[in-house]
Amino acid sequence: MTKAATIRKPAVSHIQRKLIPSYIFLTIMSIMSVFPLYWMFTAATNTSLEVAQGKVWFGNYLAENYKNLIAQQNLWQAMGNSFFYAIVQTLATLLICSLAGYGFELYHDRGKDRLFAILLLAMMVPQVATLIPLFTMISKMKLLNSVLAFIIPGLATPFMIMMFRQNSRNFPMDTMEAARIDGLSEIGIFFRMYIPMMKATYAASAVIIFMNSWNAYMWPRTVMKGNAVQTMPMLIANMSNGYAVDYGMLMLGVLFCSLPTIIVFFVLQKQFAEGITGSVK
Amino acid sequence: MKKKKGFGLLAKQKAAGWGFLAPASILIFVMSFYPMVRAFITSLQTGPAAKLKWAEPLFKNYTRMVNDKVFLTSMGNTFLYLLIQVPIMLVLAILLAQLLNNKDLKFRGLFRTLIFLPCATALVSYSLIFKTLFATEGLVNSFLKGIGIISENINWLGQSGTAKAVIIIALLWRWTGYNMVFFLAGLQNIEYSVYEAANIDGASGWKTFWHITVPLLRPVIVMTGIMSINGTLQLFDESVNLTNGGPANSTITMSHYIYNNALGQGVANFGYASALSFIVFILVAILAFINLKVGDTRD
Amino acid sequence: MTKKIVALFIAMCLMLGIASAFAEKLTVTAWDANFNGNALQAAADDYKANVDPDFELEINIVSGSSDVENDITNAGSSGDYSLLSDIVLFQDRYIKNFVENYPDAWVSLEGADINWDDITAVKQSYSTIDGVHYGAPVDNGTAIMAYRVDLLEQAGYTIEDMKGITWEKFLEVGKAVYEKTGKALLSMDGSGNDLPYMMLQAEGVSLWKDGKPFIVGNEKLRRVVELLIEMEKEHVLILSNDWTGYTNETIMQDQVAGVLNGNWIIPTMTQVADNAGKWQITTMPTLDGGEGYATNGGSSLYITGNCKNVDLAKKFLAYTFGGSKETYDNALRTGGVVTCCISAGQSDVYSEGVPFFNNQPVYKDITEMGAKIIPVEESPFHYVLRGYLGVAMQQIKDGADIDAALEEAQTATEFYMEGMGY
Repeated sequence: MTKAATIRKPAVSHIQRKLIPSYIFLTIMSIMSVFPLYWMFTAATNTSLEVAQGKVWFGNYLAENYKNLIAQQNLWQAMGNSFFYAIVQTLATLLICSLAGYGFELYHDRGKDRLFAILLLAMMVPQVATLIPLFTMISKMKLLNSVLAFIIPGLATPFMIMMFRQNSRNFPMDTMEAARIDGLSEIGIFFRMYIPMMKATYAASAVIIFMNSWNAYMWPRTVMKGNAVQTMPMLIANMSNGYAVDYGMLMLGVLFCSLPTIIVFFVLQKQFAEGITGSVK
Repeated sequence: MKKKKGFGLLAKQKAAGWGFLAPASILIFVMSFYPMVRAFITSLQTGPAAKLKWAEPLFKNYTRMVNDKVFLTSMGNTFLYLLIQVPIMLVLAILLAQLLNNKDLKFRGLFRTLIFLPCATALVSYSLIFKTLFATEGLVNSFLKGIGIISENINWLGQSGTAKAVIIIALLWRWTGYNMVFFLAGLQNIEYSVYEAANIDGASGWKTFWHITVPLLRPVIVMTGIMSINGTLQLFDESVNLTNGGPANSTITMSHYIYNNALGQGVANFGYASALSFIVFILVAILAFINLKVGDTRD
Repeated sequence: MTKKIVALFIAMCLMLGIASAFAEKLTVTAWDANFNGNALQAAADDYKANVDPDFELEINIVSGSSDVENDITNAGSSGDYSLLSDIVLFQDRYIKNFVENYPDAWVSLEGADINWDDITAVKQSYSTIDGVHYGAPVDNGTAIMAYRVDLLEQAGYTIEDMKGITWEKFLEVGKAVYEKTGKALLSMDGSGNDLPYMMLQAEGVSLWKDGKPFIVGNEKLRRVVELLIEMEKEHVLILSNDWTGYTNETIMQDQVAGVLNGNWIIPTMTQVADNAGKWQITTMPTLDGGEGYATNGGSSLYITGNCKNVDLAKKFLAYTFGGSKETYDNALRTGGVVTCCISAGQSDVYSEGVPFFNNQPVYKDITEMGAKIIPVEESPFHYVLRGYLGVAMQQIKDGADIDAALEEAQTATEFYMEGMGY
């Protein structure tokens, strides 16, 4: 290693020099990606007027904004609700979609492949079209205002099934046969062998489901009514539409709404990348 | 006896497979296809929501679209976003992925994380952020003025051309990193030896990229392509939150217009809204099919 | 020790639970916590203090009146009203359409102890259907025309000069103000187009005639549109892109010397504390001269079919928003909500001079102006038409032919109505 490194040293710096345009381009792209988020952070510390005037540096109004925010809005209740719904959604969707992906790939035959192709069509169903019929259905099931109403339409999505179906190709058939010989039941194989081996896929999927669920707005707004069940995106929308909007306070709300998804991504990013890699094989 | 048992096992396995995929499949049928069928029935009806009656003639909601100037505008806008934003985004995403796939590059993880971050922000949040950034007195104008590119503030969201541009920029900002992650994953699946072979053959960077990388990435390109086409044709939040379709409906999207008909103004026309959404459904399906056919040269 | 505390805590919870089961409780849905939310809170406190100490009002805040209206549409179309609050607040123009389409969703205010003669005529005209009252008034949408007296002075005018003038004269003053101070005399949300609506109402003209859109052939509308375009060209009028541009840029960043809108715009104006004492209000100009009176916005509370305790809801609404001085005084103090109840507008609080407006008793003036507004024809398709009129305004601003653009607005509105079987 050291030998190789010493020999290659001039070559490495040559390579780095060649990479300078890449560094510059990537740095510009990174700054452009992060700047609006940086701006969200600074805005949360400024007064409404300063935000409107486009102040780009941190101010000292954070405490005041927070005080106003919790005085006017049930911030922590909405955060709690959002966490609760998003976590339940993530766990339930992971189970249902991974089971399906497992079934579609590892037990695949002509019939199942056909069915899968049909299910993919559901990806193209516009959300606005199904809003009213779905609302009617959920209301007939007497589920309005419950966590079930929140999660049901997102429990099975073609995209998630596809993700697990693709990743399942990496699950060795030999392992499965060996497990069968050991007397494990089919569902036992799923829980004891499949889930532990597909951790990265679960992590990547969890990130995507959690983000979608946390950020969902139109559907929750239709079936969840009242302060007790309000979610963060609803809270922000409510704040941003008054006769007079306090921008500093609003941006602090936006910050609270964005932090959990950013943190989840940071924590799981390595597994996320791995899981996505498996899905595009 | 043995044979029979083996057959039984196989049948059992088969049944287990169906059992595993049944919950998800049933859910999709009940939560997506059934409402779509309901929407189709509604699309043949007319009148206020509580008193729907069959349209006269039956396909009236479909035939009247041809005379609906706002719908035609919204369709034009949506396709403009599709034709400009999706190619730029995918090319940019592939380029970024290609740069990041270089093993000699330092801070790869950091770059990847930063460029992906935008898609972690909520739609409600990011629309608000962009709206304030592109306000007439906002930051973008002061920046451009500061470096001397413009002398007068531009009313970004108040003119049809620039308002469309802002929507496209916002979409690029939010989704490029997301697509990049998929391309990066695809690139990492390509064996390094393929490139080494190309290097030995003396192929240039561009040649390697076009003749080796792109063909090997085809499945990922098809997948991200379908996701992007689907997302763009159903574009809703940006139109509602950033520009509210304005100025003068010049940025309104199909989904936004459907929403205005279905709920937006207190006097809902469900029949017509359902008919419009069926057209969107058919358009997405056709484009996805073309994409699949063009991308899939395997068999 | 801890056990005792836990036991005590549980006991308290139980007691609270039992107490709340017996409490006289209502739920209400509204938007804008600072404005409507505070008004509702004022009413709840009033009722609790003076009528029923067990009374409780749960206020649910949503993002806009459209949220409430969408809920009603959803509920009405699925026949499931269970998500509606006992009482909902929404824009007055929809109630006729809602009662017609979803009759089960509403409970009228028949039998409620409200002196309707004390409520302004224009407010009642919205929410009364075949002589039956449905809405309890909350805020008064009376338009105010506010001027920066100091800036007018620089241009050589006083607030008295602005009373009862024509819009041509307004344009002239506006040019002088722009020349001397660099500020516009008026601003508006270009896509919301509240201005043409208010200006027409001051003329006693509607955008509707016999249930049909009245855009083509509406001579006064054409004059109003021409005037606005002219004002915009002369820097007398700023047309913002959207609502926040109007409030946060033109008003809060001090770009204007005049504001014309429903009086609920006052809390936005007062956010610029530096301008305290420099503003005053008066009536709006008209096309041919004379004082103009108009209304914009304003909403009412409606009892829904999901209400479990209709008697309580009626009693609560009648006692508070039916004319309680205490409710309205506090709603004004905490939320800036101005009543359309004539007697409540004569209270001491209303008669006080307001420092921000150079000690003018603006709230008393507003309630008096409100009583003079002439009701004009309305339609459930009001906002559809206004949307298309806004499109036309933007097109004309960008150089389109006036008649062609207005005709397109008329056609588009008719197209929408035709699709609904009208």
